[in-house]
Amino acid sequence: MPNLNINGRNVSVDAAGDSPLLWAIREQLQMTGTKFGCGAGLCGACTVHVNGEAVRSCQTMVSDVVGKKVVTIEGLSTKSDHPLQKAWITEQVPQCGYCQSGQIMQAAALLAKNTNPTREEVVEHMNGNLCRCMTYSRIQKAIMRAASEMRTASNVSGDRRAT
Amino acid sequence: MNTHVKITNVESADLSRRSFLVGTAAAGLALGYSAVPGLDSALAATAPAHFDPSVWYSIAPDGLVTVTCGKADMGQHIASTMAQIVCEELGANWKDMRVQLASNDPKFNDPVLGAQITGGSWSTMMNFDAMSRAGAAGRIALTEAASASMGVPAGELVVRDGVISHPKSKKQMSFADIVKSGKATKTFTADELKAITLKTPDRYTLIGVSVPQLDIPSKTNGTAKYGIDVMLPGMAYGAVVTPPVRFGATVKSVDDSAAKKVPGFIKAVTLDDKTGTTTGWVVAVANTFAGAKKAADALKIAYDGGPNAKLSSESLFTEAKRLQGLDDSGQFFVKDGDTQAAFGTAAKTLEAEYTTNINIHAPMEPMNATAEFKGDILHIYSGNQFATRSGAIAAGAAGIDPKFVVMHQMWLGGGFGRRLDADMMVPAVQAAKAVGRPVKVIYSRENDMTMDFSRPLTYQKVKAGLDADGRLIALNHDVVSAWPTARWGIPDFLSPSVDKKGPLDAFTVNGSDFFYSVPNHNVRAIKNEMAHNATPSGQLRSVAPGWTFWAVESMIDEIAAATGKDPAQLRISLLDGAGKNDGGAQRLRNTLLAAMGLAGYGTKKLPKGEGMGVACVSSQERATASWTACVAHVAVASSGEVTVKKLTVATDVGTQVHPDNIRAQVEGAALWGMSLAMFEKATLKDGGIEQTNFDTYTPLRMSQMPEVAVSVIANGEKATGVGEPAVTVVAPAIGNAVFNAVGARVRSLPITAEAVKAAMKA
Repeated sequence: MPNLNINGRNVSVDAAGDSPLLWAIREQLQMTGTKFGCGAGLCGACTVHVNGEAVRSCQTMVSDVVGKKVVTIEGLSTKSDHPLQKAWITEQVPQCGYCQSGQIMQAAALLAKNTNPTREEVVEHMNGNLCRCMTYSRIQKAIMRAASEMRTASNVSGDRRAT
Repeated sequence: MNTHVKITNVESADLSRRSFLVGTAAAGLALGYSAVPGLDSALAATAPAHFDPSVWYSIAPDGLVTVTCGKADMGQHIASTMAQIVCEELGANWKDMRVQLASNDPKFNDPVLGAQITGGSWSTMMNFDAMSRAGAAGRIALTEAASASMGVPAGELVVRDGVISHPKSKKQMSFADIVKSGKATKTFTADELKAITLKTPDRYTLIGVSVPQLDIPSKTNGTAKYGIDVMLPGMAYGAVVTPPVRFGATVKSVDDSAAKKVPGFIKAVTLDDKTGTTTGWVVAVANTFAGAKKAADALKIAYDGGPNAKLSSESLFTEAKRLQGLDDSGQFFVKDGDTQAAFGTAAKTLEAEYTTNINIHAPMEPMNATAEFKGDILHIYSGNQFATRSGAIAAGAAGIDPKFVVMHQMWLGGGFGRRLDADMMVPAVQAAKAVGRPVKVIYSRENDMTMDFSRPLTYQKVKAGLDADGRLIALNHDVVSAWPTARWGIPDFLSPSVDKKGPLDAFTVNGSDFFYSVPNHNVRAIKNEMAHNATPSGQLRSVAPGWTFWAVESMIDEIAAATGKDPAQLRISLLDGAGKNDGGAQRLRNTLLAAMGLAGYGTKKLPKGEGMGVACVSSQERATASWTACVAHVAVASSGEVTVKKLTVATDVGTQVHPDNIRAQVEGAALWGMSLAMFEKATLKDGGIEQTNFDTYTPLRMSQMPEVAVSVIANGEKATGVGEPAVTVVAPAIGNAVFNAVGARVRSLPITAEAVKAAMKA
């Protein structure tokens, strides 16, 4: 049984190495925040982080992530308080909500590297994530809000280090 | 004319004749209507184990108010909206409000529709009064109990934020205190309930406020549970194999020898669907979904393609044209005046054909259902918009009486009308029965797209007659399509025809009975039987107004062009409010003016290749309209490629419960309209839908999103619906904008660069 590191925990999953990571997360680990949307890497609903990169878990096999760190929406923050999650609530982004775990994980990978993205960078980074409710404008606003909060937070902590 | 939908043959809630009870039950206060199964016993119950909190709402001893929502919540936040309406009259604190989703028990039926069905942008308008009265009745009962406990007159008490206070004596009790006292018990007769004076809008403290939606936090951390997330002990998984033909195929043989080599494979089950919902489906059942999918892919199935196996979109269009050309086709939905005589006197006539292609719902959560037989009861877990009918389909698939089916409602990962259908129940039920375990069936995206109950392909012919002064004196409008609602087999969902030729499916012609004053006006609803059989159609967000207004609002612009009038001014002159159009026409005119103002229509000269187009609609039905107008601003390249720069939408919703939610719904609906107008097209070939995933069926993505400006008009009239109307106004506004930009008239959806380029040359 493959051993995986998911959300900081080492777990062994009863899944074939050549089966999609998505189903191992959902069925074996019963973490259902990661969603199945298209099974072909076309919609982004199943997005998780592997070593910090946003990947489509429906296109990633269990054997591909052995020895790597996988983070799902359940592991993004300890108290659902990642700046993006807070911004998603402030901007009241979700409608049906089904795609939003994937949207947040996709956005989190961007902000982890760049807390000052332009609108164009956001669109380019997010364009692979479909939202059938078409909440795109609120997704953009929430990403910009979270980015701003992260910049402020890093300035504050930077100031603390300086003193 | 479709004035209203009344379902009388489904078990009716008919709350108008029932008493409303407020009673203390073991676990708190329960509020709901009497003679509703479960409520009386809930109120009589003494042991907490017997308390059934599934009434309209309940208040726990800790003061938390839980509203049970009988509506499917697919992102329109209707559960939160119901809680908001109750909370306003109850006087509770918003932070104490909770929601839960109802089962298919008839006690949760819609008070107007008498069934559990969510669609038509009906929920708020049809539940506003009942939920308001339920809230008010609770407040009155709590106030009287507080009055008795405090020994002060009830009339001197103030209810606010879940606390009842007596300003003179400074005494106060919280809702929690009163519930714990066990003294809040009261019965309202139907007349007493009706006589309760509800708040006037100037007294509202919560209606009209954008409170935080109750479901949103759970949708940011993965904890919201959708149908696909249901996990039952001992559950197996089913993957379906659907035939290459959309409808009518049969399975000749199944070879599972390769599937048997897949670890965890249990069984391949060929569906025997007596409900007629599916044809030629097989389910591969395994211990995991990955295993079930692998086994499904390994099955070797031979099919008989059936009677539709050679049909294509072209054959459906050809058949539609043939039917339209016959004098005795279809039934009349509208027959005002004498169009034939009027055409005889007309100085000028215009004729045009308008078409739309097949469209697929494709909600992000693929169809799924989980079935479990437990004793005599069949439990179904699924997000569904029509629990009343879907439960019956599940029962039909199981061969049991519908009363033995319990539907467990989940959050819907998108609905858009797709989850009014119940096909997903059939494989789940029959697989669970065959393997003797609970089974969760999940469609692949390919199953979901090729087996969609799609928006039907439509063909419309419109003929307009103008007098010597260019006035519109006659309009003939023929609508040929599959009939989505007729497929349900519920007679009361059909409407009588004006010419008494039997019932018609008004959900194919709604919108064509517009608010323009046209003295001679015919609308014929013509069923395309070939399309109806080959492409079983469904209700796709906004349904008929999504195509009828494409035709009507394009034709109005064609008339404007032919008579040298400004298209917006022509609409305003036709919306004169004469006769039966009084009231509605003026509201629509005002909405159009609002959109024009917000968009700056006609205020400046646009660059070459750019144009603005207008459209205005009375979607959804004439009797349930939200008045909606759009100004689209487009830029058209010489290649014919259209860029939508901005959509300006104004909508008159009467009363707004939650302004921010209305904006979210209107913006989402407008972008749906644009997606259908520009990017979404499915085609039938050899009896099957050709598009299988998001690479070939391509809804709008973030990079294609234009600027969207929304103006909401809340003028104090009754609350109307907002989830759909804006879908219908966008396509004609874009088409008209393209014409104004480059003179190219496009009459087929979706609008393609090739079609625009061809029309530019013409």
